[in-house]
Amino acid sequence: MSNKTVLSDLEDIVGKDFASNKKEDLFIYSLDPGASLPRAVDYVAMPKSVDEVQRIVKLANKELIPVVPMGGGLTLSALVVPVKGGIVLDMKRLDKIIEINESSKYALIESGVTTGQLLSYLNEKYPNLQPPIPDAPSAATVAGNVLIHGSGYLSQKYGDHGSMINGLEVVLPSGDICKLGSCSVSDYWFTRGPIPDLIGLFTSSFGTLGIVTKLSVKLFYKPKFRDVVFGLATDFDDIPNILSKVTESGLAEDVLLGMQDKPDWMKGYIFVIVYVTGESQDEIDANTKVLKKIYRKTNARYMKTPPRIREIYMEKPIFAATAADFRKGGGFEYVGAFLPIEKLPDAFKGGAEISKRHGIIPTIGSRLIGQTHSAMAFFSYSFNRADPKDMKNARDALHETNLLALELGGIPWKAELAGQKLILDKMDPNYKKLFKTIRDSLDPNHIMNPGNWEVE
Amino acid sequence: MKVETEKDWRDIIHRCFRCGYCKFTHDYSDFNCPSYKNFRFETYSTGGRMWLAFGAINGDIEWSDGVANVLYACPTCGNCMENCRFDKFNFMLVDFIEAARAEANKQGYCPENQKFLLERTTNEAYFNPYAEENSDNEDLKKQYNLPDEAEWVYFIGCTSNYRQKNLRDATLRFLKKAGVDFTLIDEHCCTSPLLRTGQVSPVKDFMNYNVQKIKEVGASKVITSCAGCYRTLKNDFAKHEAEHDLEIIHTSELILKLLKEEKLKFNSEFNKTVTYHDPCHLGRHSGLYEEPREVYKKIPGLELKEMKRNRENAWCCGAGGGVKIGYPDWSIEISKERLEEGKETGATIVSSTCPFCRTNLSDANKAFQMGFEVLDLVEIIDQLDYEVTK
Repeated sequence: MSNKTVLSDLEDIVGKDFASNKKEDLFIYSLDPGASLPRAVDYVAMPKSVDEVQRIVKLANKELIPVVPMGGGLTLSALVVPVKGGIVLDMKRLDKIIEINESSKYALIESGVTTGQLLSYLNEKYPNLQPPIPDAPSAATVAGNVLIHGSGYLSQKYGDHGSMINGLEVVLPSGDICKLGSCSVSDYWFTRGPIPDLIGLFTSSFGTLGIVTKLSVKLFYKPKFRDVVFGLATDFDDIPNILSKVTESGLAEDVLLGMQDKPDWMKGYIFVIVYVTGESQDEIDANTKVLKKIYRKTNARYMKTPPRIREIYMEKPIFAATAADFRKGGGFEYVGAFLPIEKLPDAFKGGAEISKRHGIIPTIGSRLIGQTHSAMAFFSYSFNRADPKDMKNARDALHETNLLALELGGIPWKAELAGQKLILDKMDPNYKKLFKTIRDSLDPNHIMNPGNWEVE
Repeated sequence: MKVETEKDWRDIIHRCFRCGYCKFTHDYSDFNCPSYKNFRFETYSTGGRMWLAFGAINGDIEWSDGVANVLYACPTCGNCMENCRFDKFNFMLVDFIEAARAEANKQGYCPENQKFLLERTTNEAYFNPYAEENSDNEDLKKQYNLPDEAEWVYFIGCTSNYRQKNLRDATLRFLKKAGVDFTLIDEHCCTSPLLRTGQVSPVKDFMNYNVQKIKEVGASKVITSCAGCYRTLKNDFAKHEAEHDLEIIHTSELILKLLKEEKLKFNSEFNKTVTYHDPCHLGRHSGLYEEPREVYKKIPGLELKEMKRNRENAWCCGAGGGVKIGYPDWSIEISKERLEEGKETGATIVSSTCPFCRTNLSDANKAFQMGFEVLDLVEIIDQLDYEVTK
């Protein structure tokens, strides 16, 4: 079938204004803000309804064209830039907040709703509730975040954001619509079980098994007061103990670690950033006192937070993308790796060495997930987008960091193609076989984001 | 740092990370970039434009009508400057878009409709983008008994002089009544439409001509009722080597000054509910948000109601950046959204301080039968009985 006919079919489905194969439109969708090289896109379509998604998937199956669903496009690891061409489904017109259930505390939304949109909506209409949102710009979608096992706000207390999915509506590669979670048997999207839990198939599978069109995510009570209490450590080996003691206190809503060699005053320190909450300022003050004691007892010390720094960390979300301009180059990408807590010291040391080897200022941090059950460590590499050599240098550093994470017993998060291959190389063969069997069964024509998670 | 040379923007533009903050309102509750909100492809966000322009100057994508069309489908309202988080260059984003348009022009790509702006403005019979016979303003000078030399020049601007004469005349009456020592010049276009659409070749000559004419009448102050002229005279002339030491004043600033000095007194009431639309060129581009509001609040009887998106967060009227001439239907759709927001306030009057906003809001008001009265601040004052102590 000619390109013209596919375009015209897409236009019939989503409307003339929302399908394109113009070079200037495809150009942007062929690029990712991270360090990956561009990859060709044939079409972009912006569906407005689940029906339109269904029809596009059926068209893709008929024409054997790859389909790649895209949320905010901010993974930095180019997960939504097609590997084998095809149609990018920009999902952001599916932008309805369908229901906020205050009692069971969940939000039922379409998959194009941005994290900023949900946060703003709750702030205005349900100020006592807060959503799980990532350390990503507000243009990131809620679905995009939770479907890659995102982490961010509330991860310390309640776990990674993937675990906060209550239910999904998915367009399967066949074009069928499938509901998962309690919504498959009830009008309430309040829990994943107690039925066989298949939601996991659609998390971190990067659109290879279906396209999510609706989802329910957990919401949480928002305490009236919130503050940030900084600690300073100087020895990497103290990190696991500090984190254990902080979390055992039960006071931390979130915990971040940070280390960077610039500006100079930050060099040599590991910053422990603990968010405390309470119903009164007195409670915050009391919690801060307890944390100060914990810092003292764990070979760290309390740092009075300068207002400017406090402001940065109290903003929700933190503007993490600021790293893109560290070197006036417009780019950064990081390896985020889920690690066992006890491996964080080696991760920080190893990450700093990799950075130095590549002439990049070490910028390493970590976000605690689920009360020391794991940590997402991030190793950030800034680069100059206008310099291809510098971008390659960043890619090389990322690759070495993926290897480090795997050596330490961790798993690179939302890994780019090269990282996925490293994970697959190490993966239990029967896990791979199971995944391939499921994928082949659901998507016999292999149209769903092919090139990702390719089991040989 | 300013975008003063071609090198400046070429060396900075790749620093956009495309994080998407440029699309939103301050609180992320809505998209506030008119272009992204309409077209929805990532290409049509400011980030998309930055990347597309970088790709074009870098040779990763060829210049084409399509690329130019993306660059031009933006009213350059400056919401992106307000919301972009990269404070080392966010204040230059509109300059980047204009520079990219200039580059597109240089490469031979400019949408047909926008080309009219250059053709008309450089036509010696017009010197304005409306293809109206150039007025040397001598008749107005006679009508208002204005001197040949004065301390102030009222720079009328093409939109007021050829499309919004009521606003022009209201301003003339006010200045006269206020006892301002002012006159008019045989002005040519301030070049705002050319700058916004990247058609920059004649702008330096136009600017220097206007500066010379102002100097010839001995003026040291220029007052204008046009937000576009204000931004251009105040911010853009120097960038194009038309340096001047003139004081540039918007009418709202003068009115407020007179009120604060208790020289202007209103003797009648304006018993209507008004909502104020921030012109992008006066607000986000020049930082004047409170001056007009203070004036409205001092008008007896007038109840000022704010729209949800206001000040730095205001929704654009859709007229600027060459969008009115380039995309007339979309342009009034943008204004329609503004008027719908105005409806939520309960106001019966939408008022602004820019003839271009007034035009577009009026066009949308009529086209979509929104039922508002659209008036400039000066036109409201013109309806009142007032006195000015000289």
